[in-house]
Amino acid sequence: MGPMLRMLVAAFMVTAPAAALAHHSFVAEYDRGKPVKVTGTVTRVEWQNPHIWFYVDVKDEAGKVANWGFSGGPPGVLQRRGISRNAMKVGDVVVVQGFRARDGSNNASGGSVTFADGRQVFTASPEDARPEGGR
Amino acid sequence: MARTRTIALAAVILVCAVLLAVVPPVTGQGRAPAPAGPAPRAADGKPDFSGFWDWPHAPGGPARGATVFDSKRFAPFKPGGEALFYEPRTGDPRHDEPRAFCMPSGFPSNLFGPYPVQIVQRPGWLVMVHEFMRMTRLIPLDGRAHRDIEPTYLGDPVGHWEGDTLVIVNKNFKRWSLDDYYYQDATKYRMHSDAVTMTERMRRTDLNTISYELTIDDPQIFTQPWSQPFEMTHHPEWEKVGLFEFVCEENNRCPGGNCRASQ
Repeated sequence: MGPMLRMLVAAFMVTAPAAALAHHSFVAEYDRGKPVKVTGTVTRVEWQNPHIWFYVDVKDEAGKVANWGFSGGPPGVLQRRGISRNAMKVGDVVVVQGFRARDGSNNASGGSVTFADGRQVFTASPEDARPEGGR
Repeated sequence: MARTRTIALAAVILVCAVLLAVVPPVTGQGRAPAPAGPAPRAADGKPDFSGFWDWPHAPGGPARGATVFDSKRFAPFKPGGEALFYEPRTGDPRHDEPRAFCMPSGFPSNLFGPYPVQIVQRPGWLVMVHEFMRMTRLIPLDGRAHRDIEPTYLGDPVGHWEGDTLVIVNKNFKRWSLDDYYYQDATKYRMHSDAVTMTERMRRTDLNTISYELTIDDPQIFTQPWSQPFEMTHHPEWEKVGLFEFVCEENNRCPGGNCRASQ
């Protein structure tokens, strides 16, 4: 990363909404220093309070499949953004960007989801950090 | 080299300005500027706060993330007050963050969460329903006294009018979290005592704005009361869909702050 790009990223970080929390602590559970970007197939969707969770089978370079869990915003907040429970279905192929859990497990905040047709939705909580490219 | 740095710095400043201008409020939906106008009045002639509002935030700015108190506003601590204000961490998650087990956020922390509020006003009562945790506050305006009740998480509110300002005095609190500052600095969990009185002063300064000042009078912790001004912004575009349900216990995968997926 060149110095200009580093400065631009830093500029984004300082202008991004503060990651102060409401129900649970983004900073306590997820590591802003560990962004993740995975591509996989949705295996399960829990469109429930207090945060939606969705699960994605991700195949690594050796062909081994691991199931990742992603936490998003509350259903009401997403609905107010125009994202309903029908937005994501089992079997959808998605690219998910977020931040990995501090405990190193295959869990992460699911900041943004990009579908096969290029549609991108921002699924994070109002208080969570946004991945680069998330909206 | 210096010129390159100057250009780079200018670019960073420009990007910051653009991001601040275009990054939408955290609630995510774009919003056309609401028409300006005077504060509406209820049939009894009092200012009418009814409608959909965002949570109290810094005056003049958009609401972004949970609001926390500015430590520069604090009155000096009493001897021993600081130790009461910052609850020590014990390693027991049920003590250290009971809200991660869906215990109430309490007042005012719940009100400061980044979620909409619906206010319903009628003669004698003001009802505030906050989407976060579906906190409901029923505030009598008929001149009654505070109840003699056991301590509460949300406090016992009683409101009265001082001209066009609605003053709500809240008493009968349990010792509980004051705000969400802990999530910015995990070493500082701010608490109020059970002796606290919190006074809200609300004025609808125009169609789109509530001036909201909160005074913390906590004689066990501070030498004198202190206040911080906030603002709430009208969101008529939220009227159509209203508030959504929020049931923390439904699928809480983060008990104790350790999120666990279902697999």
